[in-house]
Amino acid sequence: MSGGEKKRKGTRSQGWEEAGAEFYQESYPGDGDIESLWKDPNRLATLLPSKQTRAVAATIRLRTQDTRTNKSTVRRYATGRSRRDSTRRTSTIGGDVHVSMLPDLSEMRSNEETAWEEIMMIKEKPIPMARKRGEKDHILSQQHLRLQGLENFNWKWKKAWRSFMAQLSESFEKVELWRGDLKNIEGHFGTGVVAFFRFIKWLLFLNLAILLLVVLFIVLPTILLNTQKPTCTNPNEEEYSCDEKYYCNINGSNVALSIVQGTGILETSLMFYGMYPNATFTYHIFDVPMYFNLPLAYLLVTLVYLLMSLIVIVRTGAKGFREKLLQNEGQFYQYSNLVFGGWDYCIQNEKSARNKHKAIYNELRTLLEEERLTEERHKQDKWRIFFLRCLVNTIVLAILTLSAGAIYFVFNYSITIKPNDGPKVLQLLYEFLPSLCIVALNITIPFIFKFLQSYEHYSPLTQIRMALVRTVFLRLASLVVFYASMYLKIDCGESEAPLTECSRCSAEPDCWETFVGQQIYKLLLTDFAIQLMLTFLVNFLRALLARHVHNRFVKFIGEQNFDLSRHALDVVYTQTLCWVGIFFAPLISLMAVVMFFILFYVKKFACLVNSKPNNVVYRASKSTSLFMVVMLVSYPVALIPIGFTISTFQPSASCGPFKSLGSIWSLVEQTFNLFPDVIQSIAGFLITPGFGIPLFVLLILLLYYYTAVNSANRHMVRVLKNQLVLEGHDKKFLIDRLLMFIRQEKRMRMMCSSSRNTDQDTLTNASSIQS
Amino acid sequence: MGQAKSQFTKEELQDYEDLTYFTKKEVLLVHQKFKALAPEKVGHNRNAKLPMAKILLYPELSVNPFGERICKVFSSSQDGDCTFEDFLDMMSVFSEAAPKSVKAEHAFRIFDFDGDDMLGVSDLRQVIGKLTGENKLSETDMTVLVQNILDEADLDDDGALSFAEFEHVIDRSSDFLNSFRIRL
Repeated sequence: MSGGEKKRKGTRSQGWEEAGAEFYQESYPGDGDIESLWKDPNRLATLLPSKQTRAVAATIRLRTQDTRTNKSTVRRYATGRSRRDSTRRTSTIGGDVHVSMLPDLSEMRSNEETAWEEIMMIKEKPIPMARKRGEKDHILSQQHLRLQGLENFNWKWKKAWRSFMAQLSESFEKVELWRGDLKNIEGHFGTGVVAFFRFIKWLLFLNLAILLLVVLFIVLPTILLNTQKPTCTNPNEEEYSCDEKYYCNINGSNVALSIVQGTGILETSLMFYGMYPNATFTYHIFDVPMYFNLPLAYLLVTLVYLLMSLIVIVRTGAKGFREKLLQNEGQFYQYSNLVFGGWDYCIQNEKSARNKHKAIYNELRTLLEEERLTEERHKQDKWRIFFLRCLVNTIVLAILTLSAGAIYFVFNYSITIKPNDGPKVLQLLYEFLPSLCIVALNITIPFIFKFLQSYEHYSPLTQIRMALVRTVFLRLASLVVFYASMYLKIDCGESEAPLTECSRCSAEPDCWETFVGQQIYKLLLTDFAIQLMLTFLVNFLRALLARHVHNRFVKFIGEQNFDLSRHALDVVYTQTLCWVGIFFAPLISLMAVVMFFILFYVKKFACLVNSKPNNVVYRASKSTSLFMVVMLVSYPVALIPIGFTISTFQPSASCGPFKSLGSIWSLVEQTFNLFPDVIQSIAGFLITPGFGIPLFVLLILLLYYYTAVNSANRHMVRVLKNQLVLEGHDKKFLIDRLLMFIRQEKRMRMMCSSSRNTDQDTLTNASSIQS
Repeated sequence: MGQAKSQFTKEELQDYEDLTYFTKKEVLLVHQKFKALAPEKVGHNRNAKLPMAKILLYPELSVNPFGERICKVFSSSQDGDCTFEDFLDMMSVFSEAAPKSVKAEHAFRIFDFDGDDMLGVSDLRQVIGKLTGENKLSETDMTVLVQNILDEADLDDDGALSFAEFEHVIDRSSDFLNSFRIRL
């Protein structure tokens, strides 16, 4: 057998080496091959079309394209196709061979453009540079038709455009943000972790886009065009209008404090909702009066940034979701993926390479273990584990409820007890109590969850997922409680009659939108400060200890993994707060951009300095889809409060762009009523049942059609797969038969020749005897 | 940079740009990296042939379990020694611009240890062995694992993966394109 293999190796290297020379003339087995088969039957298997090397297929393809150049549409189709999947090119050999037997007119038919395209195709071939250059020279040495007129112009333009694009992308690469940092992290931690940093970068750009929107359509117009700013110069306080009353009541004696709390100077700046006027600005361009409706712009910007975020998330996540779907259909190559795509070729550090080896080993082991466990697990065991899991889940639920209650209690406490006369520090503490409470819970509870999880006996992958789901719920639950307590604070019930024209009840803050904005602003600040502190003080000290003190206990406390899901959650939480906050304080978008910029470095520090490489394989595609799922889950949590604010709450009377309205949505209705009648009637028709019901029916029919197509396709795939297996068996059977036949023939020939030899021997013997 | 530029003629650079996935500047960058592997040798002859041990000094290749295989696949003399042009070919395939099909083609050759144009059981065992490094899977685990891979990917059930089957796997893997890459 070893001899056979050696010979096969020989043919293979020939295949690679002389693909162009030998196979170019004889692209499929001819008589010569059959002849050599007699000598070595084992070669037979290598002659099958499916085992012909890719180089052969490539040359055939190139040649076919030569022949097809005159039929430009066909050619274009061919290039597009063969570039995309080379699997098919092996399967189309039969057809190609047929084409290549036609008279070869290629030399005259190719023109400059196709020649250039062919040269561009050379780089796809797995042959060394010298031979690539040879092929290029060969193509160039052929005669090419010169393009004429418009075609020539088109082709020149196309070439120039391509080189321009190449240059552009090259210069873009140079200024790409964090390129070196990302490479460094990739070299140490692999592509899975780098996906997280790309995610931060992605968020940064998302927020940059939102900031641009906000500045262009809300902030700049207000700065440039607003003429009616509230003043407190009127001597008679009784004559103040509502917004003047609110404006003049803001006192910011301590600048530092007011910046931290979002009051005083910050409250009177354009940071918060309250300072945007309810006005339609008028300005002139070349003496033509133009109008800018700020309230409408404010509302539209809000809707646009929410919609934009959703679209971007779904688009980015769609790829991962598709893979997930494939996985669910059982067409996912779990093991093959791990083995063939498991190594990160970008790793360049020995320690991380060792970790990667270990991580892959662990993952393989656990995958195998899991498979074995599902086969072997006893019924009794199952019940015990089921019971334990139920218990743990109940405890988790209880903890979640408790922490929700705690937040609610703390929030009420900090609002009801306001020591106005106490020292400033105490006052600040009370002010920040809810935020501190939320952050503290977010840090401590996951540890309890982790402890509980060890009783559940999940596989490592499920463990990560469960931990993530629970912590997401904790964070979002705390946010929801935060909303709820805020709602109680600003809602004063229907029964109470309006107190004054400016505020509906005494408990309500003067400008509740700004109040909400301030709370979110404080929450963001606290969260960010705590993250900085945790990374640079606590975790850094832990890492230092673990590195320099060789004690088991210290090692246990100090060593930390880069827990991807936890860090991702930090980032997503910040983003959720920003989404909500931007409506109540537009310039939070600026804060978000700055924060994500700094967060990148914070997380880089946490990753490179504080943590050691992980023992879990994080895969880039999986982590990206994980981030997007978490984003999608938290998106509604940001959307719902804004939705409620816009649709049902009455905006406060003393501040903001919507102060005269019953609800913000009524602005949309008003604007809609200003539209031309045609549009109004069309919109009116769209919402009648006469349009809606047929549409509904149509959609259902379409849905039915696509599910039918889908199931038919799935059936087809199954049939084809079976067919493929059968073909494989057939192939093996036929080759075996053929081999047997060849061997038999060989033996027959040998026997013939040997018998002839013996005949001759006897003859010579006889003659010798005779003589 | 100016010095490096003078080492190549304009035509050579144009050839390199046309025949790899790099721009001219990137070609020069690759040459710098190549030179850094053995400054004294490449200084004399820019297309010097470096022994495999020198090529394996390149950081990404030095820790790569398939480093030797990569060198052998790209070496024009097939013994692992690489000239600059071989090195350029290698970096071109690993670059970001190279399409999936090209990467898959080379990955297949890298994994095909015995060179029979099929990934058989022995190839798979070697790949897994290299991947796990010092941590050795037990014999039963290895057997089960190889069987699982074949169950998943060997569509025609002939006990080995052909290139078409391998490419099918790679097509479905979204990580491959990310991980089969060496940044300059």
